Amino acid sequence: MPFDDLRSFLDALDSHGQLLRITEEVQAEPDLAAAANAAGRIGENAPGLYFDNVAGFTDARVALNTLGSWANHAIAMGMDPLTSTKDQVAEFIRRWDDFPVAPERREDAPWRENSVEGDDINLFDLLPLFRLNDGDAGFYLDKAAVVSRDPDEPEDFDKQNVGIYRMQVKGKRRLGIQPVPVHDVALHLRMAEEQGEDLPIAITLGNDPIITLMASTPLRYDQSEYEMAGAIRQSPYPVATAPLTGFDVPWGSEVVLEGVIEGRKRELEGPFGEFTGHYSGGHSMPVVRIDKVSYRTAPVYESLYLGMPWTEVDYLIGPATCVPMYKQLKADFPEVQAVNAMYTHGLLAIISTKKRYGGFAKAVGVRAMTTPHGLGYVKMVIMVDEDVDPFNLPQVMWALSSKFNAAGDLVQLPNMSVVALDPSSSPAGVSDKVVIDATTPVIPDDRGHFSQPVRDLPETPHWVAKLTRMLAAR
Amino acid sequence: MNAVPEETEKIMSCPRCEHTGIEQVAASPVEGVWTVHQCERCLYTWRSTEPARRTSPEHYPPEFRMTRADIDAAPPVPAVPPLVRR
Repeated sequence: MPFDDLRSFLDALDSHGQLLRITEEVQAEPDLAAAANAAGRIGENAPGLYFDNVAGFTDARVALNTLGSWANHAIAMGMDPLTSTKDQVAEFIRRWDDFPVAPERREDAPWRENSVEGDDINLFDLLPLFRLNDGDAGFYLDKAAVVSRDPDEPEDFDKQNVGIYRMQVKGKRRLGIQPVPVHDVALHLRMAEEQGEDLPIAITLGNDPIITLMASTPLRYDQSEYEMAGAIRQSPYPVATAPLTGFDVPWGSEVVLEGVIEGRKRELEGPFGEFTGHYSGGHSMPVVRIDKVSYRTAPVYESLYLGMPWTEVDYLIGPATCVPMYKQLKADFPEVQAVNAMYTHGLLAIISTKKRYGGFAKAVGVRAMTTPHGLGYVKMVIMVDEDVDPFNLPQVMWALSSKFNAAGDLVQLPNMSVVALDPSSSPAGVSDKVVIDATTPVIPDDRGHFSQPVRDLPETPHWVAKLTRMLAAR
Repeated sequence: MNAVPEETEKIMSCPRCEHTGIEQVAASPVEGVWTVHQCERCLYTWRSTEPARRTSPEHYPPEFRMTRADIDAAPPVPAVPPLVRR
């Protein structure tokens, strides 16, 4: 059964032994963030964390690291928690082909139970806000699905966007928001600001895991996250109408904030510890005014720790980055076998491919940089042969160490676009990019001495099965 | 906890930019456990019970400190576009 809200997902994590409930009293800072940080340091199958005894609060429920391991990602996808990363990505790819699945409208959303408006709103009272990293400017909302519409075509469901953007809580009903120019909300904001208008938005907190994954997936501008969520969860996605904006928002959200990004206004935001493992620096960013809050009784507040990888964000965004890039490359080049773009949101990608002719793998690597996500992220591509699994890093290192010759296998492209948060970019947002071709050269590229590879013996699979059986029977 | 009012009084300036315009924006639902403060100039926000490296100008890490000039020089992301007449 797919999860319609965060609570049912937390129950599923619990039933698989993948949720730790911490009942002793903790401090909001630094305990909550330090615990979530620690979850990324105790292995690949770390649990989600749930706190309900935070000093000074009477009614705080905080969920962290819900998607912060391969086991939890598998449970979110309705799969066996032991499913390998590669198989989780393969299943994601298989379900992707069911897009679009029309959403299901349900107007009995539990967040209709309570509401507050205008100057009566105080986010500090409504949410157990807390700081993540030492240098953060304040308390952030960093796992909310933010909904906005194309101001020129507000009735176009497909152009309605659902994305995750960091937001700094700056006042009782005021937020800072980071609309990175390569993301869809920045396009919506630009259109509104060109007309001198505010951009209405709905910010949904505490969601089912699949809309969180979809809000992190680089879909095309006119692909609906809700219709893709339906494909990935294999069931129509439940939406409800937000009361103030009229936008379509998740039926199961814990809290829905509605308001506007105030047009043509900028104000200091940040720094914030980012997915690159570095702080963002301070920038002058747009400001959100909240006009209405709707919320479930006894809401669960969900947040996400991020910092030096790996943390929850890497598990959350890893497969969601691999899949669209694989689909976009495969459409042009059927020879592509697999894409692993899980490193720092795809700043580095590893792609395996068959070769049509000499130079082909380099072309595929360059093409990855011109996919929609590649434009802002893919800075380094490692190309490997079809018999190398990009998810098996020892195999990738073997390919690099034995196939790669810098004399002819390095393609460096100067002054390309990259996300400005990349701390190595100079100026911010501009970087050279590189394709490292670790595939075996094929005709007419006759460099090197690759005619005598050592292959696994034909009898080896038989012995793999036999040894595995013997080990299991001990 | 009696310590809270004392600690609040000690906070005379922003740990990050040392501006003295500080607003209390929240207090703990359980009375007297903590308060949340915000700098009116750089918008730095902190809880009174956080470690000294986040709450005290004396202990605040130099790499995160900010001046009026830093605030004024913060580059816009994204830049405000020109108005378009239709």
